[in-house]
Amino acid sequence: MIALSQGRTKELLAIHGWSGVLLGLLLYAVILTGVIAVFAHEIGEWSAPLPYAEHELPQQGLDAAMRARASEVDPAYVDDISFFSDTAGRIRTFFHTHGTKPGESTPTDRGVEFDLDPRTLAVLDRREGWADELHEQNLPAALADFFVELHVSLHLPNPWGLLVTGILGLAMMVASVTGFLVHRHLIRELFTLRKKKDPLLVKRDAHVIAGTWNLPFAFVLAFTGSYFSFAGAFSIPAVAMVAFGGDQEKLIETVVGVSVPENKTPAPFANLDAMLADAKARTGAVAGFVSISHYGRADAVVSLSMMPLEGELASDNLIYNGATGAFVQQKPFLGQTPSLGNDLFLLMTPLHFGHFAGIWSKAVWFALGFAGAYVTLTGMLLWTTRRQHQPGWAKLARAAHWMGYGLPLALAAVSLARFAAPLLDVDVRAAQYATFIGAALLATAIALKVRDLDALRRVLLAGTGIALLLAAPLRYLSGGPGWITAFDAGLATVIALDVALLLAGALCIAAARRAKPVTLPMNERLPEEASAA
Amino acid sequence: MTTLSVAASSSSRRRAWSRGLLAGPVCFITAAAVMAGASLWYPQGAAQINNIAVPIIVFPAIWAALFFYLMLDRKLGRAWLVAGVLLFAHAALIGQHLLAVQAAKSAAAPVTEGAAP
Repeated sequence: MIALSQGRTKELLAIHGWSGVLLGLLLYAVILTGVIAVFAHEIGEWSAPLPYAEHELPQQGLDAAMRARASEVDPAYVDDISFFSDTAGRIRTFFHTHGTKPGESTPTDRGVEFDLDPRTLAVLDRREGWADELHEQNLPAALADFFVELHVSLHLPNPWGLLVTGILGLAMMVASVTGFLVHRHLIRELFTLRKKKDPLLVKRDAHVIAGTWNLPFAFVLAFTGSYFSFAGAFSIPAVAMVAFGGDQEKLIETVVGVSVPENKTPAPFANLDAMLADAKARTGAVAGFVSISHYGRADAVVSLSMMPLEGELASDNLIYNGATGAFVQQKPFLGQTPSLGNDLFLLMTPLHFGHFAGIWSKAVWFALGFAGAYVTLTGMLLWTTRRQHQPGWAKLARAAHWMGYGLPLALAAVSLARFAAPLLDVDVRAAQYATFIGAALLATAIALKVRDLDALRRVLLAGTGIALLLAAPLRYLSGGPGWITAFDAGLATVIALDVALLLAGALCIAAARRAKPVTLPMNERLPEEASAA
Repeated sequence: MTTLSVAASSSSRRRAWSRGLLAGPVCFITAAAVMAGASLWYPQGAAQINNIAVPIIVFPAIWAALFFYLMLDRKLGRAWLVAGVLLFAHAALIGQHLLAVQAAKSAAAPVTEGAAP
């Protein structure tokens, strides 16, 4: 038990409740889409699979493929080249330079992007333009991108979207810390579920159990999430302003870059395959990201970011002289020598994304994230349902039901748009946005029309269930592989996600059929409030 | 309602607004100033990057610590004072640094202009 005075407990309980109620609707959207985004790679593979499963950069043949592509793009675009394994194993190869888009002030990238087949290295797709235009043209990543961008920025323009999600992360941190402090009997509440009591007390117990078990994880996710949002939105620009006179590129060059004296003398590029083989021999790992600066010049630099070895969270970068192929140094991701800043920086990504132990850690992150979404939703429903007879609170209770059950419906509908759009010959990304907005408007209309909140819950859950049940058949009808083909090709992700969606759809339908719970009288207090009063 | 209770209610409302302002926008701006200012006083370390990376990474922790203090300190005036001192100290540090950078640029400028044809 945490010893707090009644006054303190009351204050913390008020902060806990209000932080959730004020920002809970949006926080729920960010957490739910974050849960989905944990499986962004798998969603990419499910929605746009290749005929085989391949998730690593090939160690042979990249050199020839790079030279072939470099010879056919604008020479300005070989200033910077990168490779990494992207959606369903496609090798995303970006030949680009840096510039400022007309009418904008922030520097960005412009160039040509190729999707290469990971086995044959044949060109699967070619896109050209500014970075944001390339992003819009990337069809294989469309569905995963939709969920990830909704999670990261709520599809709001930068930096506003990042600022909003950063603030939501701070609210989640406040809710988790105060949730921890207001527990009168922390250990006992980890296991208390009074099944035979009033339905609202049962719900309150379920909220507390899920929330209590989830507290450390919620704190970690909130901390790392707000770090990621604020870093891009204003932390890096602010520090760049103070320490580097506003020059963000200089900041990144200082922190990440390798200092090489400029030398524009043309020079043949060394063999990339040999560098990849050397890096593997030195570290035992394969390269996950390849970056080449100043291709075809005497000052060319190759940076290989190695995949972490089994049991490790992070790895080093290996630097090579691009003109000679000679190994230069092995360095941390940030700075030239090990540092606290680098260690903290490398911890943030695995802690937030949960991909440090493959599918198993992702499954744990998914489960804990799902519990977080459940806690947020039940917290809002408990808070508002008990006050729904008071003016104002009834509308918030309705809004909580609308968001809680309408958002899953809109998200499920997006996957239907992803597969229906090519059949109807319409732009996939535009169709996804339109469907999401359409489904959200439909949920709004239903929320305004259906007066009874439990009936509203059941209608929206049934709609979500139907959309989820339709996703797998529609994927197949739009030209995706069937289960036998997928099994033969080793595409386990395709089958696993189909089965998961069918199960989730069936569970939603079953939940929609469940009877209406009875609510507690509005003047009856929950234990924390009773003890704090 | 008596004059006394109206005055008490009005004072309580003012305190609530003051607390909200302090723990909301003032807290965020102060935390941002501490983060940006820390890049000037936090040790660089052997890798020369700790003063840049660490404040950016721990910004949510700076904000959270400040938020809970400003929200829970019973003496509202003291909370305002702490936030004010932190904000102005870091703003002054940043201002002084930027002025020094500007002065260095200005000192270098006449040489460049003189060299131009």
